[in-house]
Order: sequence, then C-alpha cells, then structure tokens
Amino acid sequence: MCRKQFAATFAIVMVLVLASFAADETTRKEFHFKVGHHASVSVINQYGPISVRPGPAKEVVVTALLHSGKVEVDQSKNGKRVSVLSHLLEGADADTGRVDYEVLVPTDASVTLHSTTGPLHVEKLHGDVIVEGNTASVEVRDVSAAHVHVKTLNGPVTLTNITDGHVEITSVSGDVVLNAVSGSLVNVNSSSGKIHYDGDFGNSGEYSLTSHSGDIEAIAPAFASIDVVARSVQGKVLTDFPLQPEHTSFVARAGSAFAGTMGKAASSVKLLSFSGKIHLKKR
Amino acid sequence: MTCAEFERVLPELGGSHSIEQEAHLKSCSACSDLIADLNAITRQAQLLKESEEPSPWVWNSIEVALRQEGLIRQPAPELRSTLAPLPGWKLRWLVPLAAALLVAVGMLMHERGTGQPGASVAKVTVPLPPSAEPMPSEDVQLLETVAARMPSMRAAYEANLRSVNAYIRDAEQSAHSDPNDEEAQRYLMSAYEQRAMVYEMALDRSLP
Repeated sequence: MCRKQFAATFAIVMVLVLASFAADETTRKEFHFKVGHHASVSVINQYGPISVRPGPAKEVVVTALLHSGKVEVDQSKNGKRVSVLSHLLEGADADTGRVDYEVLVPTDASVTLHSTTGPLHVEKLHGDVIVEGNTASVEVRDVSAAHVHVKTLNGPVTLTNITDGHVEITSVSGDVVLNAVSGSLVNVNSSSGKIHYDGDFGNSGEYSLTSHSGDIEAIAPAFASIDVVARSVQGKVLTDFPLQPEHTSFVARAGSAFAGTMGKAASSVKLLSFSGKIHLKKR
Repeated sequence: MTCAEFERVLPELGGSHSIEQEAHLKSCSACSDLIADLNAITRQAQLLKESEEPSPWVWNSIEVALRQEGLIRQPAPELRSTLAPLPGWKLRWLVPLAAALLVAVGMLMHERGTGQPGASVAKVTVPLPPSAEPMPSEDVQLLETVAARMPSMRAAYEANLRSVNAYIRDAEQSAHSDPNDEEAQRYLMSAYEQRAMVYEMALDRSLP
C-alpha cells in the first residue's frame, strides 16, 4: 500500500510539473543565416526587446525567446537580406505576444528595427541603423561611419559615441540625449521632448536641434569651433560663451536669440525652439 | 425704439412707461424679460424680514478695530454722524435696489459692447484648452484606424498628434509673420515632418 501511495503521489506531482511547463510555454528558438558583406537585417517585433550586437563576420544569428504559444517567428533570407518577423496569432496581447530578440550581425551590416514597446538596443556597428518605436526606448551606441535614423512617438532616445555619419532623430514627445555625437549631419526634431547634447560638435558638420516646447541644452567644451544660431520665440535663450559677432541677416535679441562664432566656426549649429528654453553651456 | 435706446432710459423709469416704451416691450421679448426680472428682484426684496439692529456696543467694537488697523482716522463722534441713516430709508432696502441697478447697468454695458440690440445671451469666446480642441477629420480617421489595430495605443497617438498640431500652428504663425525668415521656414518643415512621421507610424503595415 505504501508503494502504491508513493507512486500515486509521484504521478500527481509529475503531472502538475508538466502542466506548469505547458502553461508557461516559453520557447527559445535560434536561427542562423549565412551572409556576405553589407548584409541587411530587419527585425519587426511588436512586443518585446530587440538587442543587436556585433557577431561573426559572415553570419547572422537570431535568438528568440517566445513567451507563449500565441506568437511565432517568421524568418526569411533573400540574397543578403534577412528578415525576422514576430507573427501574432489570434488572442495575443502585450504579454502573450512578447518575443525577446538577441541578434548578432556582422559589423558592416545594416540593421532595421521596428517595435511598439521595445526597448531597442544597437551597438558597435559600422552599418546603417534604422530604428522605429512607438513607446519603445531606443539606445544606440558606438556606431561610426554610418547613418543612424531613429523615430519614436514618446519613447526616449539615447545616442552615445556616434561619429562620422549622419544622425537623424524625430521624436514627438520622447526625450533625446546625445553624448559624444558628431558627424556631417546631426538633426534632431522634437515636439515636446527635451533635447540634451553633450559633445564638441566635431570639426565640420551641420547640427540642428529643433523643438516646439521641449527645452534644449547643449554642453560644449571651450575649444568648440562652431557658428551658432539660437532662437526661442517664447522661451529664454542663454549662452555661457562669449560669441564673436558675424555678419548675418539673423536678428539677435537678448534673452530670446543669439548668433555668433567660436573658434574657427568649423561646424554650423542651430538651436531652435518655439517655447522651450535654450541653453548653450560651457563644460 | 431699439433695445439700446430702451436700456439707456431704463434707470430713469419709475413704474410707468411711455407709449413708445410699451410698444417696444410688447415686441421685444428680451427687454420685457429684463423688466420682469427687475420687478421680481424688487418684489423679493420687499419680502425680506427686518433684521434687528445690533447693539451700540457692536458698532463701537468695530470702530475700535478699524481705528487700530489705521483704516479710519476720523474721530468717533464725527464718524458716527456720517454713518447716520438717511431720513425715510432703511439700510436693508438699499442692498436689493443696488443689486437691481447693477444688473441693469451690466446689461446696458454688455449691449453696448456687442452692438447687437435685443441680444439676451452674452457671447464670450473662451479658448478651448489644446486637449479639447476639435481635431481635423483626417486625424480622427487616423485615430480610428489606430484604435482598430492597436486599441492600447490610441490615447498615445491622440496626445502626440495634438502636440504635433500645436507645433504646426505655431510654426505656421511664425513663418507667415515673416516669410523671409529662413529659420521660421525650417521650423515649419520640421513641424510637418513630425506630422508625417506620426501618420507613417500609425499606418505602418509592417507591424501586425
């Protein structure tokens, strides 16, 4: 009798354990794609994080953690183009439709990421980076000689150590933080999000930080070489630097607009806001 | 006789009206309603109960307090004499009559301000807060599309779309005020780009 009781108990416990695993339904999948130089990798994932890091030279490795059976991963490869899509099945929501992606790509690959919730992370690449997220937070770091395009509705954007390329960021209400970002074109367009720039504005480039109501703060070293124009229609405009006046049609007004040069004026910097406060600070 | 003319002579009217005034009252519901309201105020005022006069000690205490605060400097006996009630009147009748006159004066000033005789409803334009301003029809359609595809995102899209529309309004105003201002033109382009981006993200078919 003791044996039978023990067996019955064990069977019940095993059934319960298996049932719990079945309910969890977390599934890990891994995909490998052989690619050549300058591959293009696209990941579309409505719910869940996407992280892209450098990997093997001629291979794209995608690791996906599916949080339920209500989502599946559709993947395809056409020439140098790899596409990965989270396919939501009927009844999926933000929890059950979530997939966590870890993607390893060659450093020269171009990467395109789309997500609603994110977060989205890209680092240490030399290929173009295109990131689009509604509420997703976006972080891009250590990218050089490439174009970086970021679009969010209200997801915050942080770029760190982006050099020698084009940077274009459009966010309606997400805050944008740029640390050590320089290139031939740096364009940030925000409606109500704050813009914070901390860098030296490079030695040649067009920098445009524009907002509607968000504050703009730019921190630069004393040796920065810039031709700067700053204006806020309704907000305050401040500068810690003594600027050299220049011949320009721009009308300077104390407290609401200033224009001038520093050093050899190698880079052009425009800080424009409608009602936000603008402050050009000295580091 | 116009409503403006009638209201001009209103404070001078006693219980009687001239033939011209009677004719106007018969033809103008706004002025007749006004007269009815004033008469009602007067009748109600007559129904107010007499209140008992407070004791002299109360008045003295108030006077002492006002003097201590420096609000009155006249000697008490002189002040008492200036506060003596007018012969034939009691203080309690002045309040409702003053209220009736204030209403009449207010109506007169309002009519003159609008320049519309006979207008009985004050027209005051109260600017709607940005969140309550009606959205363009295409924005409403876009939000309906978002609601159908991603119901949880509708509120975020609406809030951001309103923010962008405010951006465009201000940018257009700046650009129109000085068409030669290059920065204002650049600013306007940035505002349009924001709106285009919101539409593109909302209609992006790549997200299932």
